[in-house]
Amino acid sequence: MSSGFPARIGPPRHLSEVPREASAGDPGAVDGLRALRFADVVYRYGDKLALDHLNLEVARGEMLAVLGPNGAGKSTTMAVLLGLLHPRSGSVEVLGTSPRQAMADGRVGAMLQQVSGSGLPPGVRVGAVVNMVRRLYRRPAPLEVTVERTGIGPLLNRQTNRLSGGEAQRVRFAIAIAGNPELVFLDEPTAAMDVEARRVFWRIIRQLGREGHTVVFATHHMDEAEHADRVVVINRGRVVADGPTATLKAAVTTRRLRFVAEGADVSVLDKLVGVTDVEVRGTGVVLNSLDADATVRDLVRRNVTFCDLEVTGARLEEAFVALTGDEPAPEETR
Amino acid sequence: MSSLSAFGRFELARLLRSWKFLAVTVGFPVIFYMLFLNDRTPGKVVGGTVAWRVYLMVSMCSFGALVAGLNAGGTRLSGERATGWARQLRVTPLPAWSYVATKVTASMLVILPVLIVVEVVGAAFGGVRLGVATWVELTLLMWVAALPFAVLGVFVGFMVHPETAYPVITVLMFVLGYFGGLFTPVSHMPPFLQTAAQVLPSFNHASLGLALLDGSGLSAGHWLVLAAYAAALGVIIIWRHRVEESRGLA
Repeated sequence: MSSGFPARIGPPRHLSEVPREASAGDPGAVDGLRALRFADVVYRYGDKLALDHLNLEVARGEMLAVLGPNGAGKSTTMAVLLGLLHPRSGSVEVLGTSPRQAMADGRVGAMLQQVSGSGLPPGVRVGAVVNMVRRLYRRPAPLEVTVERTGIGPLLNRQTNRLSGGEAQRVRFAIAIAGNPELVFLDEPTAAMDVEARRVFWRIIRQLGREGHTVVFATHHMDEAEHADRVVVINRGRVVADGPTATLKAAVTTRRLRFVAEGADVSVLDKLVGVTDVEVRGTGVVLNSLDADATVRDLVRRNVTFCDLEVTGARLEEAFVALTGDEPAPEETR
Repeated sequence: MSSLSAFGRFELARLLRSWKFLAVTVGFPVIFYMLFLNDRTPGKVVGGTVAWRVYLMVSMCSFGALVAGLNAGGTRLSGERATGWARQLRVTPLPAWSYVATKVTASMLVILPVLIVVEVVGAAFGGVRLGVATWVELTLLMWVAALPFAVLGVFVGFMVHPETAYPVITVLMFVLGYFGGLFTPVSHMPPFLQTAAQVLPSFNHASLGLALLDGSGLSAGHWLVLAAYAAALGVIIIWRHRVEESRGLA
């Protein structure tokens, strides 16, 4: 941690394209480029500060992951962008207009986090629900396209209350994209999906991105953030890191050292230069280090006999811990 | 407009598919009419100037409208709110007001056939005889005046959890029914209950029907109470719909 982690890792691309001054003074000029903008947004639940002067801009066609532990403000951010919550101060702009207007104009689709229940009306066929929602939009995608894309064909004649959690989630995803919206919000989209369903899901999302849709998704799964072009890490209602996914990973200097050592003494390993975390399983040792070179030199100096040394880059998970100073939230949604 | 009709058709199709619900809704007032008809002499004048058979038919129209409104709105709505469907709809282009308006309209569409069935039973088994014009007038009057019942059902659906919806609806049905004088004329009750009845929508709804038949004229007071219920509950529903669907997103 000695070098400190930059709050902002390089300028986000759209900001280098559009000077901030210009966007503040003449919003019309950048409408074509910007999908959404948060300026100094504050939101409180009672006396709990959920969004603490949050600033965020997303370019059209961008795929953004909003990452953060539970309670960090991800869902509040989503709710404000969807026009469900109104911030106390600051301004929010979605597709050049207000969140509510963008929603009413049928330019936004969303998949909300499901607290309980299927998110679908009971006692109706899946096909009827998806088709009804599709027709609420002005320029919807053809029903067959949505059905084929989300793979809900076999579910169309099923009753909504006879779906598994994963199936209901696929239907809700179909509902989110049925209207062919320019901007798609997904809050913890894969919570109830199995591995295969997730793979398919992310393939569809990347396809949407290629077609020019702007996609914003919130997640606390680090591996899912890697599907995005850009990652914004939110903690305690503020953006604590913002940059291209690769940059974010590279910015974190944590390295993982694995080796085999007979009778390694944890108390010795713990004192090694740069080490933040020690894990010993039998003869296998895993160290997390902020300075891998120094740690290895220290290992040699302290006469720890080791073999099969392997040094790997940190996963986004470690990057996340380093950036927020928090442990990733336990996965309570499964 | 096309979005409105898409949702309207969807809701109507759902409602028509639930035959069990419709049967129960129509069954209640019809069974009560048959049960209570011979409690008193059907031809005896009660609570003013109409015969018991007529009084009970008008009362059961009110009761049927109340039951239909509470069931169409209450039970079904609280169920679909619990699954998160109402919240999902908030993130589509469907305006909040049209969601509520469609629910109220659907309830009104259920209330109309209930009124007609009760009237048919009143004519066929109770021996109620009215002119064609009066039947039509009575039906339309009772239907238009039933708006607060439709709104009340939607209100309950918004305020109550599905587990408690059924008991709440049952209590409302019988409290509003009994104290509104739908089973026993209010004039047979203690004075303080007679006063209390004046502010109940059930009493005012039935009173309009009875006033039409005994020729005493439709009092503005009854309309005022009914309109006040519809307006007040409607405002709370819209407020609740806007605020509530954003909860649980923290």
